[in-house]
Amino acid sequence: MKYDIDLASAQHPERRFADLQAQTRRHFLRTLSGGLGSMFLGSMASFPALAASGDRDIDGELRLDLKRDPKSPLAALPPQFAARAKRVIYLHMAGAPSQLELFEYKPELIKLDGQDCPASLLTGKRFAFITGVPKLMGPQYPFHQHGQSGHWISDRLPHLEQHLDELCFIKSMRTDQFNHAPAQLLVQTGNPRLGYPSLGSWVVYGLGTENQNLPGFIVLISGGNTPDGGKQLWGTGFLPSVYQGVQCRSHGEPVLYLDSPKDVTTAKRRTVLDAIDQLNQQHYAEFGNPETVTRIAQYEMSFRMQMDATDAMDIHKEPEGVRTKYGSKIGESSFANNCLVARRLAERGVRFMQLYHWGWDSHGSSAADSLNVGFVKRCQEVDQPIAALLSDLKERGMIEDTLVVWGGEFGRTSMRENRSGQVTKFTGRDHHPGAFTIWMAGGGVKPGMTFGQTDDLGYEIVKDPVEVRDLHATMLYLLGFDHRRLNYSFQGLDQKLTGVKPSRVVAEVLA
Amino acid sequence: MIPWLRGASPRTLFALVTFVPLLLLFGLLLFAPPDGNERAQLWQFVGRFHPLSVHLPIALLILVPVLELAGRTRRFPFLLPAVDFLLGVAVATAIAAAFLGWCLARSGSYSGPLMTQHMWGGLLVASVAWACWYVRAQTAPFGQRAHPVLIIAAAAVVSFTGYRGGQLSQGENHLTEFMPESLAGMLGVGVTGDAPSNSPNGGPNTFYGARIQPLFSSHCVSCHGRSKHKSNLRLDSYEATMRGGSHGVVIKAGEAQKSELLRRVTLPHTDDDFMPADKKRPLSPADVKSLEAWISSGASGTLAIDAIKDLPASSTIQPVAEVTFEEIDPDAVAKQRASLAAAIAQFKNRFPNVLDYQSRASADIVVNAAWKGAKFGDADLAALAPLSERIVAADFSNTAITDKSAGAIAAMKHLRSLRLMHTRISDTTLHSLGSLDKLEVLSIFDTAVTPSGLQELLRLPKLRRVYASDKMMSLASSLPPDLKSKLVF
Repeated sequence: MKYDIDLASAQHPERRFADLQAQTRRHFLRTLSGGLGSMFLGSMASFPALAASGDRDIDGELRLDLKRDPKSPLAALPPQFAARAKRVIYLHMAGAPSQLELFEYKPELIKLDGQDCPASLLTGKRFAFITGVPKLMGPQYPFHQHGQSGHWISDRLPHLEQHLDELCFIKSMRTDQFNHAPAQLLVQTGNPRLGYPSLGSWVVYGLGTENQNLPGFIVLISGGNTPDGGKQLWGTGFLPSVYQGVQCRSHGEPVLYLDSPKDVTTAKRRTVLDAIDQLNQQHYAEFGNPETVTRIAQYEMSFRMQMDATDAMDIHKEPEGVRTKYGSKIGESSFANNCLVARRLAERGVRFMQLYHWGWDSHGSSAADSLNVGFVKRCQEVDQPIAALLSDLKERGMIEDTLVVWGGEFGRTSMRENRSGQVTKFTGRDHHPGAFTIWMAGGGVKPGMTFGQTDDLGYEIVKDPVEVRDLHATMLYLLGFDHRRLNYSFQGLDQKLTGVKPSRVVAEVLA
Repeated sequence: MIPWLRGASPRTLFALVTFVPLLLLFGLLLFAPPDGNERAQLWQFVGRFHPLSVHLPIALLILVPVLELAGRTRRFPFLLPAVDFLLGVAVATAIAAAFLGWCLARSGSYSGPLMTQHMWGGLLVASVAWACWYVRAQTAPFGQRAHPVLIIAAAAVVSFTGYRGGQLSQGENHLTEFMPESLAGMLGVGVTGDAPSNSPNGGPNTFYGARIQPLFSSHCVSCHGRSKHKSNLRLDSYEATMRGGSHGVVIKAGEAQKSELLRRVTLPHTDDDFMPADKKRPLSPADVKSLEAWISSGASGTLAIDAIKDLPASSTIQPVAEVTFEEIDPDAVAKQRASLAAAIAQFKNRFPNVLDYQSRASADIVVNAAWKGAKFGDADLAALAPLSERIVAADFSNTAITDKSAGAIAAMKHLRSLRLMHTRISDTTLHSLGSLDKLEVLSIFDTAVTPSGLQELLRLPKLRRVYASDKMMSLASSLPPDLKSKLVF
């Protein structure tokens, strides 16, 4: 009887039927066009030019070859040009920190404190919460100059002050999004809509990572909440999923559910993985989907991570003195812990570390999000760890090739927020996409300088506006890429982090 | 009139249909000539088809004499009957092209003698072509004699008008610019350029005339000159420059920062308002400095040529520096890498993700064993020996290397950056690194190195920064300032 054939054999009718079912219309069309194409080519004389066409993009310039062996999708690749920075630590203050209470000193605003806001600042603008005519509000904390660079800084960041001469400020950053989620998406993925790869994903796509036992792109969150943009802020969009950010924790298990359950030994886990590996290999042989190979690689990586990640993220291993320097406490989930972990990860060859600290949205509608209460706490939470991080990187010489970026997603208004016309005892400012401040340190930026300028009220940019895509172009340049060349073909377009609008590398901030 | 029209022959109809627009065009040119102002976008769009459409009547009117001559020979008698039709087409297209030309001139910023001559020339071409067509069919002896005269006149007028048109679009000296000198001498063509003015401003001995006007002439005057002046701004003379355009003055004497002209040329190149527009060659930083200096000193037309010396080093308006990317030539790079390519490939297999080329454009190697930690030791470092010449950056932090590797590291003669933190090396290693004369950055944080070991290394010529632990503070106080500045804690 024909059904005596072993089910495992490819000749079994059930298998053959399943194989036939697996041949979808897509397979047919793909092979059809390929087949017709190869018939056409075969009938022609040899066309050496055609072979090169896949290697050149629309401008006729050579594409970067970013192909890797699917078994090691995160293998390190050399950058396009000699890089100044080999890794990035991005400190994103989710909620938009008030630049007027931190770095932008506007004495004119002090003089006009409490006065009605002039109409010229209000016409044509859309505010999140301000209604009617708000009042201008001077900086809530005193400013002073510090260091040889003469940068102004408020009294909220006493530890960071010591490093003021190493920072490169861009005070004329500009965005066109006035709400958190799209603005955060714009800053992290280059586009205010969902579905685009994040900065870290592009970097890991272009450069890979050195330590294959740890993810190349690690995300650490503190402040009590995930930022409004959600997990897409470190997602891969249309890039292969292996490049997405891995959210880790700085206390407890580094990645939830990474550790095997209690009675599952390493050997047992290995056996399970080998079995899954075999199944996936079979699947790959049938369907040829490269994501399958990536999935295999991911399982393997999680196995290696069980050992290495736990070690990397274990801050017990740091001496007490170092932990005090950061202000980190074991067992807590805090920005300080995250900074310490980030430094450890940087030493271990991780390419892109992103730290989110939530809670900077100082509207002034309650104690937690006000400039007089919540903001103070937030500053305390970040001041010491950032200073310690910079100091550690400097000590080790890693500041030479580590790019540290600090910033929010937009700025805050020069006016006091008057939500529904009420004046409460909490002070706050509304969202302001027109101008915001970021700073960079390390990896090839010029220390002790300020680029860009806003007007006397800190409201409009008067000199050297920098778009978010320009910042991205600059970061990619420091990492060794021409931002136009790091692209991925999707939906008929060579997609880039910097998008389709022209962007420029901010040459003035390069050392 | 309608019954008469119905009975009229096609020829008469055509004659009327082309004569009326001619009159219309004449009226337009008389009463609504181009006056140098810009008008509606639709007219500008339509008008831009003039250069395209004008080529057909030109070609036909040059062709017709050729056909007439050839047609009277024995070989090509069949050509003669075609001439009438071609002349008809020439008339129709000449009128259409002339009308488009009027749209272009009236809506863009064109004015001046060149423009006027070209315009009336165009009308004349259309009229003479009409006359040619009309006269050719006449059997009267007057018609027979007038015909060749008219044909030649048409060709001549077309050539003249076309020449003016070329000058309008390519520049006044587009034919004479590269004329061989012998020919130029024969024709009596002088040095090209604008006629010298009689005003004292902007003369050849003034700063403006010698330094600023040439800038404008080469970068700006093609759109802001005598015949074409966008926004009514002309930059071909001192008076015109100071007068400004339809948006006001562009130079504020003494106030460089408030001068619109300077603002425009110092914008980022991707800005919409950047000048020169349309991807023309931007001013160089030195040009911008001269411009700024001239405006700051009062924007005078009579200032002597050497009055402004030593252009300021740090001007308030910095021309924007741009980053350029060079195309990588893979063949050149492959050639540079060729000698050690096989060895490197072998090492990459043996030590994946530890060593790689510095970039896709370079043949130099970068080693990073830090992430391997204790798994990388002296034996592994020794294995890198064949590649020593090419290694420019090495990071052995956190590894298990010891002083035994001193020789191997010293062999990396082209090393620019070396990191040895958290390793068990000591002064012994540092003593043997004295030959690394290209070393720029060194990190010995958390090693057994003492101040005495570090001292002599500080004399390395290119060494800029040494990242050392606080232990070296004692060393710092005893050093001269130039060496002390290299230490970073």
